[in-house]
Amino acid sequence: MDRLATAWAIFQGLLLEAIPFLLLGVTIAGLARWLVPQGAWIGRLPRHPLLAPITGALMGFALPACECGNVPVARRLLASGAPLGTAFGFLFAAPVLNPIVLASTWAAFPDQSWLLIARPLGAFLIALLLSALLVQLPEAQLIESSLLAERRLSQPLSSIGLLERGGGLIGGAIPDPQPRRIERPQLSEVLEQSSREFLDLLALLVLGCVIAALVQTWLPRSWLLAVGSAPTLSILALMLLAIVVSVCSSVDAFLALGFAAQVTPGALLAFLLLGPVVDLKLAGLFTVLLRPKAIGITAIVACLGVLLIGQWVNLWQL
Amino acid sequence: MIRALLLVLWGWMVVWSVHSGRLDLLLAGGFHKLVSASGVALLIAGVMVGMKSRKRQESVSWPWLASAGMAVLVLLVPPHPSFSDLAASRPQGLPEPPDLAFVLPPQQRTLTEWVRLLRSQPDPDLVDGNPLNISGFVLKRGDEPAQIARLTVRCCLADATPAGLPVSWPVDAKPKVNQWLKIEGHMKVETRQGQRVAVVVPETITPIQRPERPLEP
Repeated sequence: MDRLATAWAIFQGLLLEAIPFLLLGVTIAGLARWLVPQGAWIGRLPRHPLLAPITGALMGFALPACECGNVPVARRLLASGAPLGTAFGFLFAAPVLNPIVLASTWAAFPDQSWLLIARPLGAFLIALLLSALLVQLPEAQLIESSLLAERRLSQPLSSIGLLERGGGLIGGAIPDPQPRRIERPQLSEVLEQSSREFLDLLALLVLGCVIAALVQTWLPRSWLLAVGSAPTLSILALMLLAIVVSVCSSVDAFLALGFAAQVTPGALLAFLLLGPVVDLKLAGLFTVLLRPKAIGITAIVACLGVLLIGQWVNLWQL
Repeated sequence: MIRALLLVLWGWMVVWSVHSGRLDLLLAGGFHKLVSASGVALLIAGVMVGMKSRKRQESVSWPWLASAGMAVLVLLVPPHPSFSDLAASRPQGLPEPPDLAFVLPPQQRTLTEWVRLLRSQPDPDLVDGNPLNISGFVLKRGDEPAQIARLTVRCCLADATPAGLPVSWPVDAKPKVNQWLKIEGHMKVETRQGQRVAVVVPETITPIQRPERPLEP
């Protein structure tokens, strides 16, 4: 009974800590839609396979939020027809490449300069890797169906067919040669859409927090840290810990500080790299963006990428 | 209209969590204002959505209702974590000590500051005989003797990390796991498992209520 009460308290802690960031993300996504009407700037984003994710990753500096807040913004980018690479670069790198997370990492590890470079660099590489792989999939197999339908409406007819857009017309339609005038949506319309989006994401966040609280209550953390000095095992253990703990990226460096002395440098970096991309709290949120197959690929590739980076760091540092 | 009610419910849940003081039990202090602001923002958003969609019928998805059920549960069932249970499965680990821990007189050091001091200055003889006045909960890990401990938190209860001190309990003392105690006494060096360690020797032990802010930064 004590353990259930503890799990209930951890659930409340995780949820109450994440709600402000989720709300911030939804608000920024809504404001972006209202202030910068659809298409006005999306068309200017680079579509180059390398430049697109780099642009997305750098956009993190405009949104100092953790990974929960980035999901609604990435969804808005995809719905507005942004290049896939930009949206994925933002989704996977921005939780680390933002001023708050970089400052908290520096505050937690001021004497480990290698970590201050390795964390953003590693996050950037993982985001590039994930973007490069995910864009190989056809959009229909990659993006969640309702989001894909929304995205189709934002894409020019020159790039997709009427049938793909699902507009009810098959063939024969000629795109209007006149450029469409983009109108700013009404604030009430933005409020309606944002409130729906918030409630959708909140339901998934609740589910993620329940799972994270249950798993971390019944999985003793000391077991994971017991393998701290073994190079590969310590990386795997800390990756599992990052997935289970599910704390937001703006404070995970302070958590890592608590066990930094007990684990290998590669394991420490693995913890700081994997949590912002893959954790139990995020598992539900990703379903509003990606299809299950794409979520599976993201999780597996991110884990393998982080494991390789961790191994390399251990070879270099140990 | 249902959407507005749900937003107000969530806003109320967040604001209630702040004002009932339960946030002190769940989150690090740095997050309290942010959480409070988000609760107020949700209440305002709920009222605005309600005013715009007063007469409109709208479909409600079951995940919204299921999550709203959780919000009601959070309102009705306050958190009662077992600090000892939480701490027992986690290794001890604290950041580098702030300078303050070294300059404070021994009686004014909190339990966490004592742990930081002993970790940064492993020679126990330096604190031998120092008076102390600390409070914490009784932590029991497996077969080890009971300690007096506190939880430190950087984010929320999910990352809580225990900081504990070994205690040389009086023969007649029967410390109950999770019980909060105030201990006045002094430090003494003992050899435990072949190592010389600083141990709390209580002179008075007073059971106390859990403090309003039991988590330490």
